Amino acid sequence: MIGTTPQPELTSTDDWSDALTVFDGRVAILITDADDLATLLAQCSLGNRRAFETLYRTVAPRLHSVALRCMGRSDLAQDVVQESFVRIWHNASRYEAHVSAPLTWMITITRNLAIDQLRKHRELPLSDLQQDALADESPSAHEQLDSARAASALGHCLERLEGMQRQSITIAYFQGLSASELAHTLDAPLGSVKSWIRRGMERLRRCLES
Amino acid sequence: MNYQTPERRRALAADYAIGLMPPTARKRFEHLLLDDGALRAELARWQNHLTLLTEPLVEQPVPEHVWQAVVARIEPQTLHVPLKRPFWNWLRLGAVACSLLIVLTAGLLYNRDSVQYQATLLSGTAQPGLRIEAHADYLKVRPLELSAVEAGRSLELWAIPVEGKPVSLGLIPADGDGRIALSQSQQQLIRVPVVLAVSLEPQGGSPTGQPTGPVLYQGPLATL
Repeated sequence: MIGTTPQPELTSTDDWSDALTVFDGRVAILITDADDLATLLAQCSLGNRRAFETLYRTVAPRLHSVALRCMGRSDLAQDVVQESFVRIWHNASRYEAHVSAPLTWMITITRNLAIDQLRKHRELPLSDLQQDALADESPSAHEQLDSARAASALGHCLERLEGMQRQSITIAYFQGLSASELAHTLDAPLGSVKSWIRRGMERLRRCLES
Repeated sequence: MNYQTPERRRALAADYAIGLMPPTARKRFEHLLLDDGALRAELARWQNHLTLLTEPLVEQPVPEHVWQAVVARIEPQTLHVPLKRPFWNWLRLGAVACSLLIVLTAGLLYNRDSVQYQATLLSGTAQPGLRIEAHADYLKVRPLELSAVEAGRSLELWAIPVEGKPVSLGLIPADGDGRIALSQSQQQLIRVPVVLAVSLEPQGGSPTGQPTGPVLYQGPLATL
């Protein structure tokens, strides 16, 4: 991260520091720190399988939550998690510690794989999957999320977005819809959708970096 | 498209990060990313912020078969194992060990005593007189049709650099067959292209340090 504010929520919150869990009689190392994840990635790039397993045990539930949010179906989400870790293993040497936090790098891999899959699915005729995924973006789903993020910096910054800005950014991020697909889904002009996303993104970033 | 102004780069990185770009623009942007660390950093800032959208998500336990599948993917050789694996593995291992041994042995021999350069020296009538093989620290001399040398005379071998005076490499052994040891400076000398020449000298070699008698044989020293 260059010049960005640190994101303590991302690396040291309780929601994934519970990683101290017993697997097959072995105790996985408690990983809460971005430095530790970066170290594990560095060891993976040297071919250290044990480090890779520790990384997997620590991060997989987090990546799974992202994949599930995108795909909306657990079998597809599991495929995305599997593919993500294969990528992480083979690309660990390309991780640039000075550019992004390790978890950001891994979540981005998962999210990109997930929306690639969704885009492929969307090339097919309208499917149940698409219907389900889009149904997930109903206002009630947002309301549930909102209560969970109430105290975080992101929550604060998301609150400052207009409704359509927030909704179009969220759909674009988790569903990978193009601007024209978004316009169709939201029944809004293409220009409006683009401007919601771009202005929303700028406002979000200024808020987070202030 | 102009990728140069900071505002433009920031906006394009934002479009890419959120997924607003059409496929062709996306590919072009990914191509730019390869060589542009600053653009990667700009993109990473957007990704860092967008990752926060995933923060409220509740961690989901992953079934164990996913890990097994990952392991199978990164170690595909543990799958599709032939039934006679131990035998074939030993055979393969044995073959690898043998070839390694051969390569090592050959390498040692080669390094220790390899012919690095070779020259066939011709007489004035283009008859091959003798062959010289240059090893690391000596020359091997093999007579082909070497004229007999009268008593009281010696054949002296010279190296003649492209630009420079002949340098004595030593006397050809009396029977024309044998070795001429090379000093460090002589070894240096024949690493660059030189012409070898044999001159007829008084017994014991040229008294002046330069050829005094007629050149009987000569030829270029060539890398093998």
